[in-house]
Amino acid sequence: MDLKRFGEWLKSLKNEGVEHLPIEERRSFLKIGLKVTGVFAGGTILSVVSRAQEVFGAAPDYVDKYPYKPHYSMVIITDRCVDCQLCMDACVKTNHVPPYGWRTKIFERRLKVGPNEYARQFMPVLCNHCNIPPCVRVCPTKATFKDKKTGIVRMNPKKCIGCKTCMVACPYDMRYFNEERRAVDKCDFCWESRLSKGEKLTACAAACPAGVRNFGDLSDPNSKVYKLVHDPDRVVWVLRPETGARPNVFYTIDGLG
Amino acid sequence: MKRWLLLLLVFVFSLAFYQPLFGQDEEEYPEEPIIFTKPVKAVIFDHKKHVEDAGLSCDDCHDELFEMAAGTAEENEDFNMESLYQGKYCGACHNGEMAFPANRKCTTCHIGVLGWQRLQQKSGEGESSSEGHH
Repeated sequence: MDLKRFGEWLKSLKNEGVEHLPIEERRSFLKIGLKVTGVFAGGTILSVVSRAQEVFGAAPDYVDKYPYKPHYSMVIITDRCVDCQLCMDACVKTNHVPPYGWRTKIFERRLKVGPNEYARQFMPVLCNHCNIPPCVRVCPTKATFKDKKTGIVRMNPKKCIGCKTCMVACPYDMRYFNEERRAVDKCDFCWESRLSKGEKLTACAAACPAGVRNFGDLSDPNSKVYKLVHDPDRVVWVLRPETGARPNVFYTIDGLG
Repeated sequence: MKRWLLLLLVFVFSLAFYQPLFGQDEEEYPEEPIIFTKPVKAVIFDHKKHVEDAGLSCDDCHDELFEMAAGTAEENEDFNMESLYQGKYCGACHNGEMAFPANRKCTTCHIGVLGWQRLQQKSGEGESSSEGHH
């Protein structure tokens, strides 16, 4: 039977519903990342779909539309992160972040990988430099703005009145009030401290010993970030896609287990 | 007759003392996990897991791969992942054949600064015997 006729025959079958499929069976499929969507021919044929999207959130549909040049972006290979915090140390030193503040953080997740098995996963987070930044929209004095050339979400501390509305609006909690500057401070992809002076990498990306933080120009097809985001073998996701902010920080894994 | 009894007693006592001493020698290991903080913070090594679960004995690792004194390996220039991939230190077993390879499952041993802080907090709490959450 050729594939086309097999497909037609499959389509002609009646979906008998997954209700009668043993829960253990469904679970064993879920464990390998597949969801059973149908039972055919008395259970001899199962229809399954990948659950990856469901687990990691929707893949960004705005990928391939890059309005900035260079379009700065970071791709975080999150399972390479070991929480050594060298990135955080470098950031603090480079951008004079006070002990109570932060421009980037590392979160920890406990993933269930078996009945009694857990795996640790670290997840670095920084300003996502959103294409539609909620923080910029709410700022009453335009102290925070989207750089028209690079897309970096920057701060003009002189204009900041310290109302902290942007801190509430940020979906990623990546803004803090700097008491010394009397202004909100945040990650600017090291624009002031490094990029504007000719450096190619942010301090955190340069400090990472494990290749977690990949920084570059997403509009350049030869850049590492472009290749990672467009790699068809990778699951790439963003944090909190439901806000519609269109973040420019992407996440993926190398599958290191 | 009395002399035989005395000899027997000596023999029994020697057995009674010898046995626990022998046992201690074989199985004694640090209960607290070893935390490496160089070259990166922080990596955990649990003797219990490697002795009880993996069935290793002291001389499987000591003193050829690691000196007994904690912190000795950390002082070495070559105590890094590259050396592990070449079969040094943990890499002698963590090569994908005897145990999972050193370039996989990073966070099994790398507990990070967060994990390290949590351990310190736990041991601190144990000393003051307070169980409150912060």
